[in-house]
Amino acid sequence: MSLHGWFMALAHSPLGHAMQTSRWGFAVVEMVHLLGLALLGGSVLIVDLRLLGVILKGESAITIGRDMSRLLMGSLTVMVLSGIALLSEEAGKCYYSPAFRCKMALLAAAIIFYFTLHRQALLRAQSGKPTLWPRIAAIVSLLLWLGVGVAGRAIGLL
Amino acid sequence: MLFLQHFCEMLYQSSFGTMLRESNNAFSVIESVHVLSITLLVGTIAVLDLRMLGLILRSVSVSRLARSVLPLSWSGFAVSVASGFLLFWAEAAKMYVNPSFRAKLVLLVLAGFNALIFHTTIYRRAQEWETLQVCPWRARVTAIASLTVWSGVIIAGRAIAYF
Repeated sequence: MSLHGWFMALAHSPLGHAMQTSRWGFAVVEMVHLLGLALLGGSVLIVDLRLLGVILKGESAITIGRDMSRLLMGSLTVMVLSGIALLSEEAGKCYYSPAFRCKMALLAAAIIFYFTLHRQALLRAQSGKPTLWPRIAAIVSLLLWLGVGVAGRAIGLL
Repeated sequence: MLFLQHFCEMLYQSSFGTMLRESNNAFSVIESVHVLSITLLVGTIAVLDLRMLGLILRSVSVSRLARSVLPLSWSGFAVSVASGFLLFWAEAAKMYVNPSFRAKLVLLVLAGFNALIFHTTIYRRAQEWETLQVCPWRARVTAIASLTVWSGVIIAGRAIAYF
């Protein structure tokens, strides 16, 4: 099945029907999506500011990274699940929305970066004072996640 | 109350309010800034609350985390109040009667009281308990209250558009 086919299948699934016909469904799921955003934003910010050497300099970067990772994975799960429900309401529109495509590309980049180079940067930051690479990784990570948020906000506007 | 209503109508009808309301981009841009600054505010407060509940960063002392995190929360608060006031200016007459907007203001006052009580009582004696992995019950109660009330602020804020 083509990508467009998957989007249509989602729109015509029971979930899609429920979201399209319910009076408050979309609003409630949107609220859950925003609550997830607050937690995700908080966890990304804490770990990246630690990498930048702005906050909690005396604490272990690995410990902060591990704890924030649990929070990030938890809130990301909430956001992806609520995001799928939001998508099912208007999958046809989203498929052609440049903002939605941009958001998905940035999200994929942010997640891949988080599990690869960002991890390495945390390991490097652990050993002694922050060198250049952890700082660059923190800035790239902040910009990627910020981009996901801004593109997400733009879906409703473009 | 009549005075407040007149004030809201005056803001709504002012040329700046009308310009904001009728602009295509300005309102959306301010709205995006508002959402991002609330993320900064609530996200950082939530990290501190979760620490006091003993769910994350148990090895970091509470006051040390608070010193790192609260300046971020205050920055988020300043930007969200400023952007929120601009959004209110554009829609003031409608906001005056919007039940969700009223609920959001009440919840904000509650959040303020909760923070005030925490900082003037339990947090005063933080050096006695801040290194405990799980904080005393009174600190945990304010943490749960904070998480609940701030979630309510986000929920009520989102609901404003639906009334």
